[in-house]
Amino acid sequence: MTLNQDFRKGFWRENAVFRLLLGLCPALAVTTSAENGLGMGLATTFVLVCSNIVVSSLRKVIPAKVRIPSFIVIIASFVTVVQLCMEAYVYDLYKALGIFIPLIVVNCLILGRAEAFASKNRLLPAVADGMGMGLGFTLALFVLGAVRELFGSGTLLGYAVFGSSYQPLLLMILPPGAFIAMGLLLAGMNLLDARQR
Amino acid sequence: MNGVLRLVLVLTLITAGAGLILSLVESATREPIAEQRRLATLRALKAVLPPADNSPDEDTVQLLIGQDRRGRDLMRTFFRGRQEGELSGIAFKVVAPDGYSGNITVMVGVTPEGTVAGIEILTHNETPGLGDKIELPAFKEIFAGKNLENADWRVKKDGGEFDQITGATISPRAVVGAVRNGLEFFRDHRVEVLAEAKGEKP
Repeated sequence: MTLNQDFRKGFWRENAVFRLLLGLCPALAVTTSAENGLGMGLATTFVLVCSNIVVSSLRKVIPAKVRIPSFIVIIASFVTVVQLCMEAYVYDLYKALGIFIPLIVVNCLILGRAEAFASKNRLLPAVADGMGMGLGFTLALFVLGAVRELFGSGTLLGYAVFGSSYQPLLLMILPPGAFIAMGLLLAGMNLLDARQR
Repeated sequence: MNGVLRLVLVLTLITAGAGLILSLVESATREPIAEQRRLATLRALKAVLPPADNSPDEDTVQLLIGQDRRGRDLMRTFFRGRQEGELSGIAFKVVAPDGYSGNITVMVGVTPEGTVAGIEILTHNETPGLGDKIELPAFKEIFAGKNLENADWRVKKDGGEFDQITGATISPRAVVGAVRNGLEFFRDHRVEVLAEAKGEKP
């Protein structure tokens, strides 16, 4: 596979949320607005790219028997770095995402990519894979957040879209709305795929 | 190299490296984080206090308000705002434990006489679209100008004079009750809260 393919597969064909159904816990929980989705996605992308870089460079050094604890230590360190930086420089977003930032550690997407890709590939493909998968995850969270924000609050990225007469569909920003939006988006993607074939 | 020894060595090196990086990042972000937290508190203080030209977060009194379930002391911090050295208002945090879901923390600002100048909801987990309307200015503004003498501190549904929110009575009731408790505590300890102010420089 070329670098380009490694990068692009994360957006549609192997999209973490809509295709592999990985990392659903943050994907469903924080996407009450497009901004939250975007912030969470970018934080995850940063961790994913960094952990892919380190895991790929150390892949010949780390013995197979202790690879999982090694990966987790590496991932947890980058998550803490992200957490400290977000608290220092984007405090409001840090407050909005709350407990889900430390929980990036247990996002199975990141461990999954370390185990399935970065530990078996050279540095450049691992970076491309991390970028693609991370940005694909970001895109999915952004779309999910945008749909829920649009119907649940009548706004998009904080700007009113429907005007003041719109009665927000509260359900969409409550937890059940996450599952409903997710289900509809999945169905839409499958439909598109089926058409193309 | 011996197999087990290699495992131990590699894992130790990785964790040591991680520790080194984390300590560097922590020391680089320590000051910005403290500053962000201070700004967040200051923003809430500015919103509830009458005009002040000092830094209220540096002019504080701590009083014991009771014990928690494990018997540890619970302290409440009183932030004092001054205008040209004169005490203009006092702000303190109260917690409403009886909200619809979880605690609601409220910053209350009062004049030295004990009349509410303003309130600000700091954290809550009330239902979006219903209970979270306690964050709207229309609800928070009801409190300004009220004190323990001139107002009946209950929501209208309970016979008081505070408008509840359509569809949500529990959240406003919790906030009103917590602010009332805070005012009562301030009334009972007014001397201690204000007294220490005299000796210190503004």
